[in-house]
Amino acid sequence: MTRLVRLVAPLAVLALVGAACDTGGGTAGGGGGGGPTEITIAIGSEPTTLDPQLRDDGGERAVNDNIYETLLVRTPDGELQPGLAADFPEQVDETTWRFTLREGVTFHDGEPFNADAVVHSVERIIDPAFESEQAGSFFGTITGAEAVDELTVDITTSGPDPVLPSRMYWMKMVPPEASQEADFAENPVGTGPYRFVEWVRGDHVTLEANPDYWDGPPAIDRVTFRFVAEPGTRLAGLLSGELDLITNLLPEDVETVEGAGKQAVAVQGLEHPVIILNTEEGVTADPRVREALNLAVDKEALANDLYGGNATVDPCQILSPSWTGFNEDLQPYPYDPDRARALLQEANAEGATVELIGTRGRWLKDGELLEAVAGYWNEVGIDAKLRIFEFDEYLNRLFGEVRPDAVFVVSSNELLDASRNLGAYYHMDGIGASNEDRELAGILDRALTETDPEQREALYAEATQIACDGAYFVFLLNINDTYGMSERLSWQPRVDAKLLVKEMSVTA
Amino acid sequence: MGRFAVRRIAQGLIVIFGVTVVVFVVTRLVGDPVDVLLPLEATEQQRREFEHRLGFDRPIPVQFVDYVEDLTRFDFGESFWQHRPVMEIVLEHLPRTFTLVIPAMLLMVVLAVPLGVLAALRPGGLLDRATVVLSLIGLSIPQFWLALLFILVLAVELRILPPLGGGSPAHMIMPVLSLALPAVGRLAMIVRSSMIDELNQQYVKMALAKGMPYARVVGVHALRNASIPALTLSGWEFIRALAGYSVIVEYVFQWPGVGFLAMQSIERQDLFLLQGIVFVVAVMVVIVNIIVDILYKAVDPRVKLA
Repeated sequence: MTRLVRLVAPLAVLALVGAACDTGGGTAGGGGGGGPTEITIAIGSEPTTLDPQLRDDGGERAVNDNIYETLLVRTPDGELQPGLAADFPEQVDETTWRFTLREGVTFHDGEPFNADAVVHSVERIIDPAFESEQAGSFFGTITGAEAVDELTVDITTSGPDPVLPSRMYWMKMVPPEASQEADFAENPVGTGPYRFVEWVRGDHVTLEANPDYWDGPPAIDRVTFRFVAEPGTRLAGLLSGELDLITNLLPEDVETVEGAGKQAVAVQGLEHPVIILNTEEGVTADPRVREALNLAVDKEALANDLYGGNATVDPCQILSPSWTGFNEDLQPYPYDPDRARALLQEANAEGATVELIGTRGRWLKDGELLEAVAGYWNEVGIDAKLRIFEFDEYLNRLFGEVRPDAVFVVSSNELLDASRNLGAYYHMDGIGASNEDRELAGILDRALTETDPEQREALYAEATQIACDGAYFVFLLNINDTYGMSERLSWQPRVDAKLLVKEMSVTA
Repeated sequence: MGRFAVRRIAQGLIVIFGVTVVVFVVTRLVGDPVDVLLPLEATEQQRREFEHRLGFDRPIPVQFVDYVEDLTRFDFGESFWQHRPVMEIVLEHLPRTFTLVIPAMLLMVVLAVPLGVLAALRPGGLLDRATVVLSLIGLSIPQFWLALLFILVLAVELRILPPLGGGSPAHMIMPVLSLALPAVGRLAMIVRSSMIDELNQQYVKMALAKGMPYARVVGVHALRNASIPALTLSGWEFIRALAGYSVIVEYVFQWPGVGFLAMQSIERQDLFLLQGIVFVVAVMVVIVNIIVDILYKAVDPRVKLA
């Protein structure tokens, strides 16, 4: 019996301690009453590092967006603004951009933020030996930086690069001294509104307000990021009061959240589901068939019914209105099944087989969306063969040499600049392009080096017009980013999906 | 005993090696990690560079030889999701899984053994019937459903427990219960039936006739003999909790243990990490089996270890 006691005793102690801790440890409790305000945010994954220049990692970004800052920033609507730079950069020549820096900014450890810090940050991230995952995809054109004086710095590019200002919205500025420490990845030091407190691996990261922030201390004193991958668990955390903000709220959960007195807020997001059509071979080589495939789909119904209103119809392009290159003049193809049938008849393509390649479970309601599209196509007399593949096999087909009739993808764009996703799917050499349009490719190439913003917008307007008129794609939707928030949190979600705690506040 | 240990360890090593070979082959047959790890918009050149950095551009047999060589040094390489040595990550998560599995298994024994014994004392009695029904319910409930039900009732409705994450003992209660309760059902049934068998044996009647106290006959002699099947099942439950159920329970509660890590490494196609996890779990399974064999001997000296 004594053996049994020895086994049971620790359990009993655990249970008691558990009960004691539980009454003491409510996280989302401290609202008003003059005490410090604390909030808890759930993010989908744990940061792999807290070095802001090393990885391309959403978990890391969510935390570091609050610790670190960039030369240029964006408003919640996506408009580029000066951040650590005092003003927009000036172009000295075709390949040089001059930034003037904000005065009196210091890093959390007291190091001054000046031209040397910018030079160090640029050189660190583009150094091949540093092996930054961000370097290739965001900063490939940057060749170096040079301090002109204490608060002026020149950034140079390999060729004319109109995207440079947007790139500098992505590059976080690190302190020259502290970033050379071996433990910098665990002890982040930035200029931002929040400074690092602790990172308990597997559980949470905590930040506290920086009282010396150059733009004044933020409203919320302390923020904890927890890592919750499972949507059901995230929802439970919000409903139980444990969490103040959750990302990627499912459309079907919006009602539950609102019914429980919490808030569901949405903003036009970065993701554009679209179907890439093969313009060269097969039945889709005929532009009338491609137009018919567009006309056959009731995009409004998809947005309202499938996504519960949390999506908008893409106006014949895979760009959001807040991005550089968005073409305001384009209109979505209307839902017109009769016209679609007529076009198919004209093209002698009634009953033609169109293979539609996609995957399931990767993006919000991807499988359901594909089934609906295939259904619409069948209705106008196309024999749609929907083939859903496991993600790897799907990627082989999306990026493969042999272009399928129709392949589904969700295009996203973190730089909010058309060059990125048009380069991948519109440009004939792009990794997921199914067209051989040399003229279109030429326009996109010119836009890559055109530094005059108006000229550049004009080139993208031309490019998006060509792809729209030629129905190179079946344009579908732009999915909203939907967030669940506690009743006390007040925040306007951003088009770039950043979680900037300094823009949040808590009501008592 | 010494020869027994050597043989079991040799057998265990063969099992572990077999498992790791299977994992190597399967993970490489299933898909191309390069495409999954890079953003969709990455260029062809970025893909090739990335592939080269990870060594996936070499022939599979060359990769395999390297893999086995590293294995002998317990070097599983660096996780390409976390960018840290795989062993460091796995060993950091393993104790957290044990902090769920061990209390759950203790709870299982503490609840199931008395329940099974008491039920067996009067087969067909009220307590027996209640035990059977509750056990059947317990062992029929899927863990993930039980876990979600706990969250819904205890965390969302009653708000007496935190719904997710680790950190405090309060966070342990729901995951431990989710792991333990179905196992309690299974173990209580086994204890009950083997106790009923034992209590009908001649030696029990003999001992009672000789005037030995009832509690001693039941609690020492009969229970000791009945505990062999219970021990087998407990070992099995331990292995299943460690290598299977923990994945589900940890994922639902976002408990940062090895099971949760396994889910994440699969989602991110982190082959090296997955190999490390499978290796460590396989080692644990072999160790648990050896411990159970040794316990057999301790409980019943007639058992020959060979």
